[in-house]
Amino acid sequence: MTVVPQSGGGRPATGGASTGTLYDVVELILDRGLVIDVFVRVSLVGIEILKIDARVVVASVDTYLRFAEACNRLDLESGRKAPTRLLDLPGELTEDGSHGKSKGALTGAVEAVTDTIRQYTQDRDEEPAAKPRAARRTRSRED
Amino acid sequence: MALYVYAVTSQTHPARLDGMTGVGDPPEELSTVSTANLTAIVSAAPDGLRARRRDVLAHQEVLQHLMADGTVLPLRFGATASDEPQVRGALEDRADFYHQRLEALAGCTEYLLKGQYEEEALLRQILQESAEARQLNEESRRTGDTNVKMRLGELVAREVQAREKAAAADAVEALRPFAREVHVNEARGEDFVSASFLVEDDRSDEFTAAQQELAEDWGEDVRLRLHGPLPPYTFVQETAPGDGTG
Repeated sequence: MTVVPQSGGGRPATGGASTGTLYDVVELILDRGLVIDVFVRVSLVGIEILKIDARVVVASVDTYLRFAEACNRLDLESGRKAPTRLLDLPGELTEDGSHGKSKGALTGAVEAVTDTIRQYTQDRDEEPAAKPRAARRTRSRED
Repeated sequence: MALYVYAVTSQTHPARLDGMTGVGDPPEELSTVSTANLTAIVSAAPDGLRARRRDVLAHQEVLQHLMADGTVLPLRFGATASDEPQVRGALEDRADFYHQRLEALAGCTEYLLKGQYEEEALLRQILQESAEARQLNEESRRTGDTNVKMRLGELVAREVQAREKAAAADAVEALRPFAREVHVNEARGEDFVSASFLVEDDRSDEFTAAQQELAEDWGEDVRLRLHGPLPPYTFVQETAPGDGTG
C-alpha cells in the first residue's frame, strides 16, 4: 500500500495529486533547511499557517460532545450488547447528516481551526502554500 | 541583481541544471555561483516572492533534482542575496562548516513519516477496551443526558490522546534502528505522529521495509504516510531544530 516517492517531490505516498506531498513536506521547506545569516529572507505569510495549524487540543466541551456523539453512533460489533434497535441508526445518521461518514469528531475538531486558517490565507494570500483541506480528503480514496 | 538561493553543494557536484527552472512566474532560470570548493545554486529573485504553492514546489523540485546527483545542503525557502559577490562571500565565510555538513550528510537522505488514526477504529478500540466508556456510552444512548455525554466525551478524549501518544512513540521506535538520526516533529492537524529520519542510502530499503511492516501491523486502523527520500532539511544544521518535541 505504501509507495515511496523516489523523486520530484510531487508524488504523494498514497496516490492522488501532488498537493498531498507538498502539504506534508511544506513545514520542512519553510521551517527547516539551512539559514545563511547574511541573506534576506522574504516575508512569508505561509509560515504563519504552520504555527496556527498545530495539533488541536481535544480538551473542550465541543470536542467532548462530538466524541460522545460519535461513540453513540458506533455500531459495536462486539458480542456484548449488539444493536437491537436497528431503526435508530439510520435516523441518527441522517439527523446528524452534516457530519457525514468521513467527518467525525476528530475531523470536526480540526475543522474549525482549518477554516480559520483558510480564512486567514484567503484574506492574505490568494494561493497559499499549505492547503489544509487537501490532505484531509484522503479517506475517500480508500473506498 | 538580487539572487534567490536554493542550495549549497560541493564544487564536485555536477549541478546539472538543464531543463530545470526555479521560483517565479514565469519560472526563473537557474545558475550557479562558485568558490574554490563550494557551489551555490541560484536564480534571479522574483519581485514580490511569497510562500506561494507554485514557488515552494519549485524550490523543492530544484533540491530534489540536485540531490539525485550528490549531497546538497538545502536552504530554507525564501533566502535571497543582494548579488553574486554576497553569495560568494557567504560561502567563503563558512566554508569549513559547509564542508563539514556536506561530509556529515553524504550518502544520507531524509524521510518524513506522518500518520493518522481512522477515527471510528480508534473510538471502537476505546469502547471495546474500556468498560467505563462502554457503560457511559450505553447510558448516554439510553438517556441522551448531556452530563453523561460530557463524561463519556472527556474519557474518550483522554483515551484518544493517550493512545495516539503511545502509537507515535511506537512508530518512532520501530524505525529508529534504521536511521542515523531522528527528529520528532510537532504533529499537525489530524496526525498523531510526524517524525523526520536521516537514513543512509544503503539502509533505505531496510528503512522502508520496516515502515511497511509497521503499516501492515496496524492495518486499516492507521494511515501512515512516508515521504522520501527528501533533501535533509531537518538535519542540515549542526544541531537538531528546537521546535520539535523530541
